[in-house]
Amino acid sequence: MRRWSAALAVAAVVLAAGCSNGGGDGDGAASDGPVKLRFLSLAWQKESIAANKQLVDEWNKANPKIQVEYVQGSWDNVNDQLVTSFEAGDPPDVIHDDSPALSGFASRGFLLDLSGSLPSELKSDIPQTAWDTVTFGDGKGGQGVYGVPFLQESQVLYANKKLLDASGVRVPTSDAPWTWDEFAEAAKKMTKGGAYGVAWPMKSPVNKVLSLGLNFGGTFFTTEGGKTRVKVGAEEREVLSRIHDQLYKDKSADPSALGMGTADPLPGFFAGKYAMVPAGVYLRQQVAEQAPDGFEWVTLPPLKGVTAQQGATSQTLSVAADSKHPQEAVKFIAFFLNGPNQAKLAKGDWLLPTSTSAAADPAMTAKENFWDVATASAKDLVVAPYLKVDGYDEWKSKVATPTLQEYFADKISLDEAAKRLVEEGDKVLERYGR
Amino acid sequence: MTLTAPRAAGTRRRPAQGRSRARETFLLLLPALVPVLVLSVGPLVYGILLAFTDARSGRNTETSFVGLANFGDLLADGDFWESFRIGMVWAVSVTVLQFLASLGLALLLNQDLRLRGFARVLALVPWAMPPVVIGLMWRLVYHPDAGILNAVLGTDVDWLNDFSVALPAVIVVGVWMGMPQTTVVLLAGLQNVPKELHEAAGVDGAGVWRRFRSVTLPQLRPVIVAITSLDFVWNINQFSLVYVLTQGGPGGRTRLPMLFAYEEAFRYGFFGYAATLGVAITIVVLAVLGLYLWRQMREVD
Repeated sequence: MRRWSAALAVAAVVLAAGCSNGGGDGDGAASDGPVKLRFLSLAWQKESIAANKQLVDEWNKANPKIQVEYVQGSWDNVNDQLVTSFEAGDPPDVIHDDSPALSGFASRGFLLDLSGSLPSELKSDIPQTAWDTVTFGDGKGGQGVYGVPFLQESQVLYANKKLLDASGVRVPTSDAPWTWDEFAEAAKKMTKGGAYGVAWPMKSPVNKVLSLGLNFGGTFFTTEGGKTRVKVGAEEREVLSRIHDQLYKDKSADPSALGMGTADPLPGFFAGKYAMVPAGVYLRQQVAEQAPDGFEWVTLPPLKGVTAQQGATSQTLSVAADSKHPQEAVKFIAFFLNGPNQAKLAKGDWLLPTSTSAAADPAMTAKENFWDVATASAKDLVVAPYLKVDGYDEWKSKVATPTLQEYFADKISLDEAAKRLVEEGDKVLERYGR
Repeated sequence: MTLTAPRAAGTRRRPAQGRSRARETFLLLLPALVPVLVLSVGPLVYGILLAFTDARSGRNTETSFVGLANFGDLLADGDFWESFRIGMVWAVSVTVLQFLASLGLALLLNQDLRLRGFARVLALVPWAMPPVVIGLMWRLVYHPDAGILNAVLGTDVDWLNDFSVALPAVIVVGVWMGMPQTTVVLLAGLQNVPKELHEAAGVDGAGVWRRFRSVTLPQLRPVIVAITSLDFVWNINQFSLVYVLTQGGPGGRTRLPMLFAYEEAFRYGFFGYAATLGVAITIVVLAVLGLYLWRQMREVD
């Protein structure tokens, strides 16, 4: 026992010494050596990691005075990881994340307001609608820009070309997309011979439903007098009940696909079990790479309700408020996200660039792999109201996810689901308003 | 002490000597005490203090003392009590199943089997694996498409994402993970049961079942009480396994109280409230444990 304690005490002393040493080294490097930045990247697809690393190498060669270290993170636990590193005061300098997560970090003062420090080329290259997705309150009554948005995602439909042609329905185009009614009709026609018209993977239903909800003007949140409340009225119910109808009334959607994650229906899609799968544009990569020989697929443009609008969430690069070299970090971001580089990153991730010059890149409008359909869908992306809601993350995981899952599994009625979303949701949001 | 005291010179010097003895003892204790105070008591006290504040994550937050407000919120927090219910279901069923399975395994390993040593080593293997590795391994076992379980059973169940199957599936892993230490402790207990008692009972005409119930179980009782209480505490505090397996999903059906507290702190940033949850869980676990031990003691008397 005593020997153990002694060992622990020694370990504690060594640890403490190690920590203070590490701090000393860092300061020393700042004064004479090159500035060192840590860049936390969440790239996960092979091409995308390669594109990220290549850009970092390029930068390091061109800027010997500002050396960037690539740190690999993961979408699964990035926000937990960030909270701990922010609290410890030692966060990465440049942080890759997505806009829904920024709101909370911004209001807690962890991120640097970039509004004054971004170069004008970068500012004007990205449209205002995209900047809106990263503009949040600073927790002290002001507003700031807390990241640079660079990759966006829209929800499209993937269809089995053979089944689509055989059904005889009108093939939608970007100029004349399907309405939800046409979509429901098409799904019904494609449901035959053991195949379902559509598979809705609803393991994480909330962002999907809230984003599509804008098709019918459903915002899910209202803010009055500085107080945000959940709202599930007629507009919000449209998309919910239409998906539910496909599952249980039309029987054109497979209920056993509900528990799946976004990419999970692909084997069934390739086998002809599902004629259509709704998913984000990035899924094109997996479809293109995993489709068996001879399998023909198409990307159909987003559906239209009253509008074709969808909620935009963007991937972002931010600078930590505790970064010792904020100016250098901003310089690196400006290089990393310039037009040509955004095109490279977008190609690597099969997502849509926010940069207008990158979107004009011929590769972004090519017919191959339906880049043209994907890029055209970007024009209907608007700021989703939920992005600005403090406490959205908690509402999503504690209230909305289980409620929507139970509603789509037909365990509760629409009225009950709406009631829970609002009542339990308001209780959650109230905590953040205090 | 009692041996040396009479040999000490005179009664006059004894109080002074006692004082210096006490100081010596204290000095000798110090190296052991400091790490305990710094590494264990310190954080504990800090956590308890935090439970009475509104500490939140953030650079521009101000922490103030809020008294019992957090505990008031806690009583009204339906999500937490749901999570707590799940935690109790988890801890009780894992502890009970673990105990039954381990007792069976221990009885088996106590027999004079061939390759007994090898079998005992095999039974210990799960102990050598970190919970995260166990979680990853079982995630593969439960995988709906590539998992060995669906392949063997010929079923098509998404074990970890199904609302009704997820918790039982996680409980099975919990039982599997905790079996080695329970088995080892019970096996040690079994080896301490005197052979003569069994022989005497056999001479009196008691069968195998009767001997197990009237000789083995009573002899094993202190060991059983100790290991089940320890298992219960370990299980209700389980975090890493569930974090890796399901992250509390689907829809919170496997969100154990510890995971709930972790989310409060590191996902939503309510440090003060999360500390309150920790304190509350500790109090309830102590109460449950106290009741259990008290009943067991009373039955012994």
